[in-house]
Amino acid sequence: MKLARFVKFREEKFGGVLFETRSEKVYTLSPTAAAVVKEISAGGGPEQVISRLKGRYNDPDGKLGAEAREFIAALASLGLVGE
Amino acid sequence: MPPGSGAFGAPLYVGWQLTNECNLSCLHCIEESGPGKAFKDELSREEALGVLGRLAVAQVPYLSFSGGEPMLHPAFWELVEAASAREMEVKIETNGHLLSPDDCARLRELGVKAVQVSLDGAGPASYEGLRVGGRFERAVQAVEDLRSAGTPVEINFSPTKFNAHEVGRAVDLAFEWGAAGFYSGRTIIAGNAAKTRGLIEPTEEQYERFFRTLREKAREYEGRMRVCFHELGLIEELNYRLANPAALFIILPNGKVKLINALPFICGDLRRQGVSEVWKSFLDGWRSPQVREFVSKLQQDPGGIGRLHEWAEVRLA
Repeated sequence: MKLARFVKFREEKFGGVLFETRSEKVYTLSPTAAAVVKEISAGGGPEQVISRLKGRYNDPDGKLGAEAREFIAALASLGLVGE
Repeated sequence: MPPGSGAFGAPLYVGWQLTNECNLSCLHCIEESGPGKAFKDELSREEALGVLGRLAVAQVPYLSFSGGEPMLHPAFWELVEAASAREMEVKIETNGHLLSPDDCARLRELGVKAVQVSLDGAGPASYEGLRVGGRFERAVQAVEDLRSAGTPVEINFSPTKFNAHEVGRAVDLAFEWGAAGFYSGRTIIAGNAAKTRGLIEPTEEQYERFFRTLREKAREYEGRMRVCFHELGLIEELNYRLANPAALFIILPNGKVKLINALPFICGDLRRQGVSEVWKSFLDGWRSPQVREFVSKLQQDPGGIGRLHEWAEVRLA
């Protein structure tokens, strides 16, 4: 999984920004969402991404993993990530 | 509420007018470009590549090269290559007359996002009447060569009183030519357009029909080709920008940075300043009383728009 061809990511003080340059749509990201996208950019499938996030941040109740999975699915449905 | 442009550390989009030199002398050109119209102080090859490097370090994701005619800039290809190597998305805005089939293939290899060709009209009479020195068939050939090479093409259409009625057919042609998008909006009456206003400015009735046709065409081609257009006039757009500055700035051929094309305000100089410093000045510029007062005066005297080209530049205090 990786960011789609026309999608650019940049970290910002507030979190991050995704710019889909074909449609010229801009998505602002919270720090958590930006952390997920940063891991997606590093490569690997959804479960690898989630596993790395869990390794990096505390996730005692599994909430982070669940939210990240949901967020990745949302990115995929918007065409912002692909294989 | 999502963060606005002011929260970004750098622009998301940079429109870079590489040169004011052009092979055509278009009646409506806001930049007053044309043969022999290059600025005396345009960025050198080294300076331009330096600016590009700084934009890349600032992670500006999207860049358009325009002019004048951008392909006339001596470092045009080096800049496209450098931007592509830094994984920036690149759009080229051109009249297409200098594009050879080999160039089209090279742009495809470099992965440019799109080449936007100005093609305002459904035939030679209107196109060549507006784009003095241009040839309709040549521009169409460029579009076909781009399509053959697999380079994404977009069409740009500037309405005038003598081509506005052709917009429906022009959209159909754009689709037949395989364009990915069709872009238009009101022609800004500044620069050459202020001098030729009587010849080119569409009436409000023409604009009404023009935008009605575009709305219909946008529905007709939905999902197959983007039909994008802005119905706002300049004053409305400026008022919107005052409240919501876009995350984009315009680099002039000499490295100076403008708040927006139509206004004379300069907020920085990339020959001397870094991207983040200029970006901060850009954001401050949209908040400055100087700019607000200027827009307010334009609102009270819309005829002032026609005199915008007489302002060389205004440095923000």
